[in-house]
Amino acid sequence: MSFFGFDTSGNQAKDRDGRDIQKPLDFEDTYKGLGDYDNEEEDFLNAETFGATAEFGTDFDFGHGNGGNEPANNANSYATASRSYVAAASSGVEHQPQATLDASVDLKPMESLWSSSGPVIQQQEQPQVLSMEELERQQRQRQMGGQPGFMGMPPPNYGMPPPPQMQMHNQYPGPFPPQGMQGIPPQFQHMPVMFNQGQPQAQGIPNQAQFSPMYQPQLHNQGEGQGLPSEQAGQGASPAPQALESPIPAPPALSPQPQQQQQLQHPMSPPQMISPPHTPREHGRQSRGQSRREPLTAEEQKRLQIRQAKVEKILRHSGLMTPRDKDFITRYQLSQIVTDDPYNEDFYFQVYKIIQRGGVVGESNKDLIARAYLEHSGHRLGGRYKRADVALQRMQSQVEKAVTVAKERPQKSKDHSDAAREGVLGKISSAMNSKAPRRQLQIPVHKTGDESAIADDNSSGKASRGSTPALNVVTQSLEKVEISQQSRARRRSSYAFTSVDQSSVLSRSGGRKFVLSLIETVYEEVLELEAQLRGGSNIDSTALWEALHIGDESYEVCPFISMLSFDKGIKIMPRIFNFLNNGQKLKLLQTFFGELSHLNIIIISSYKTNASPTESQLKQIELFQAVFLKIIVSFLSSSANFIEIMGLLLYLIKNNNVSFISTSKIGLNLITVLISRAALIRQDINRSNVLSSPEISAWNEVYDKLFTSLETKLSLVFPPKEYTDKVVRTTLGSVSGSPPVIAASPQHYDQAYIWQFLASLALSGKLNHQRIIIDEIRDEIFGTINVAEELGKGQEDQPASQYKKDKLYQDLNLFLNVMGLVARDGEITELK
Amino acid sequence: MLFFSFFKTLVDQEVTLKNDIELKGTLKSVDQFLNLKLDNISCSNESKYPHLTSVRNIFIRGSTVRYVYLNKNMVDTNLLQDAARREAMTEKK
Repeated sequence: MSFFGFDTSGNQAKDRDGRDIQKPLDFEDTYKGLGDYDNEEEDFLNAETFGATAEFGTDFDFGHGNGGNEPANNANSYATASRSYVAAASSGVEHQPQATLDASVDLKPMESLWSSSGPVIQQQEQPQVLSMEELERQQRQRQMGGQPGFMGMPPPNYGMPPPPQMQMHNQYPGPFPPQGMQGIPPQFQHMPVMFNQGQPQAQGIPNQAQFSPMYQPQLHNQGEGQGLPSEQAGQGASPAPQALESPIPAPPALSPQPQQQQQLQHPMSPPQMISPPHTPREHGRQSRGQSRREPLTAEEQKRLQIRQAKVEKILRHSGLMTPRDKDFITRYQLSQIVTDDPYNEDFYFQVYKIIQRGGVVGESNKDLIARAYLEHSGHRLGGRYKRADVALQRMQSQVEKAVTVAKERPQKSKDHSDAAREGVLGKISSAMNSKAPRRQLQIPVHKTGDESAIADDNSSGKASRGSTPALNVVTQSLEKVEISQQSRARRRSSYAFTSVDQSSVLSRSGGRKFVLSLIETVYEEVLELEAQLRGGSNIDSTALWEALHIGDESYEVCPFISMLSFDKGIKIMPRIFNFLNNGQKLKLLQTFFGELSHLNIIIISSYKTNASPTESQLKQIELFQAVFLKIIVSFLSSSANFIEIMGLLLYLIKNNNVSFISTSKIGLNLITVLISRAALIRQDINRSNVLSSPEISAWNEVYDKLFTSLETKLSLVFPPKEYTDKVVRTTLGSVSGSPPVIAASPQHYDQAYIWQFLASLALSGKLNHQRIIIDEIRDEIFGTINVAEELGKGQEDQPASQYKKDKLYQDLNLFLNVMGLVARDGEITELK
Repeated sequence: MLFFSFFKTLVDQEVTLKNDIELKGTLKSVDQFLNLKLDNISCSNESKYPHLTSVRNIFIRGSTVRYVYLNKNMVDTNLLQDAARREAMTEKK
């Protein structure tokens, strides 16, 4: 029988018996010739490591403890060699003078150990001849031995599987190394000093002892328990803290029973495991015998090898961390992701989910994170017992803890205690983490005087103008000199006529940059308010109101109006309205109607100032209608009373050139909204007879004013043919995906809004007003009828042109019906 | 956190990554480094990277991804604007 690859004949046999140890070992006999294979490249460090002065003879005696007859220098050389490890452990690399060592301080406690005979010596020899595989195996066995020590560890999934043992016999025909361990005094494992090569790894035993649940099933199938009794026995006797829950009582005098129990627990074990050896030594023999008896087929062998290779691979780095370590790492990683303030730091995700689910918040964020993380870490199977729910629960609690960590984080970073973690989790830069990743571009964020000053300072509008381009400064100051308060309104309107370019308007309300920054300020306020709303705290919208700059007299054009020049300014309006009270809304609309002619959208949508609207401008118009007009309508219909509407109309008439506004689609829409709403209220009130006479007379007055400003210019509300053609063409160009049928036939400019306006104008007016209206737009009425009749005559596209014809009549009749007329088949008749 | 937050909403959606290798797959998870885990991947230039034909799912280090193509309707641009504003706000503080 051979151990450790020894030649079992000759001296070693005596060694094994433990009787003839006195005889010095012959190095050449035990040397495997490993060094012959290649030059070791880095052995220049050997001197430093092992001591340069050591002299090695061939007459080693490893059992120096009982060698009174050993030559002194041999003992010394051994001591030196062993000392280097101790020194490395205790005082680092530094080479200590040999003289201090001859006392062998480190070795002293061992003397008693080594005084026992045989096995000890084997043990000492062992490292010398161990192959790499054997070493690994040995280690693994020690892990098994060490495992029970970790039974007390927290996670339930680590509740001990029987120490996994590899079935080595088939793969390694050589002697079974663990047997060498059997006789070792347990303390030996805790005195790694005495090992030679295997020892540094052996020191790592405790840390390697636990297995991630992932591996367990595999190991499980590998069969267990070979050599186990001895290991368990050793551990049981060892002074180190041992787990009491260990399933194996492990008395030193081994009985086969515990093992048999294990066998029952794991029927999957390979057949040769069924009858466990009574003693390790026997066991080794037996199992080899068994494998001889039942030779594995090539396929089985191959499979076994593959599995073993897998296990080998897994085991290589297994057990480097305790569960506690893992938990810590997980928590730390999670703490980078989770937040206690999801709406602030995880805004997009949170709100997106709410939008997607239609306002229902499903799973909590933390659950999602826990689940995702479980998925990531490969724990989703729940470990050995497939308790995925338990694993999830654990992960959830981890997330909870991580949130706590995340909460603490800001304060900690203040104390620079991140530096303390440096090295634990690699390099941690407090300036650069997932929240503040490294940037490709570093844009300095020093506060430029311009914008912030303007944004902060409402009152010093004049001073802040210094930041706008010099030309603007000149024009503005010139205007200031000339314009008296009275003439201002008129001037504005005339100015608006001359330019589609919004920059002129913008420059008079503080400059483009200022307006854009204002919009951003408003957005910030709104976001802040919305966050408060979610948080359920009290809402204070005064900051928002101030950011809107309504009624701000320091600019020629109210900045609020200029805000509406930008799409994002329009889009934010509904959200602003959520936070304003009625009074504020009214004030806002008063400002809006008061400065209507400065509104960029009016200028764009008027055929006079913008004869050829671009596609994007048309889109802007559409957006305005869809967003802002809707707000106005809903405000007027829900919360505005008659007097307020009258007031708004008055603002519009007083401060603007109404006939100009009426040339724009949006302007006409706005006027329509106001007067039709007023008409509706008046009808309601008429029915209930509560409208006071002053109110009626006031309304008549306002209406008269409006009508006067429109009189003689009513036909101008109809845009010229060139304009409508252009708009139609542009819209057609943008709707490229529309069916070819519609695209082929000549599209028509939708004039419904104009007829709506005329209808509501006529509805509120008296008979003489209506007569004037009809007189002025007679041509348009008959023109429309003609077009409609022409369409009816067209041969091609019958359904399409029929539809258009109907549409034209419908629009026209909207107006005519107000006066009790109806247009049909080219004739205008009285409505019956 | 904005991008992390953003990509989290794309989980279970189909995305296309492009660097030199162009991959298409279902996004399974993303972390704070924007490491991506894709499932059911397909490579658009498989002739160049034949080894990817046998790969079904893949974990990609975030820093190696240059582009991520998204379907337009997977992104709520208005919300994204707001989120960006929030991000800027918190940075200012």
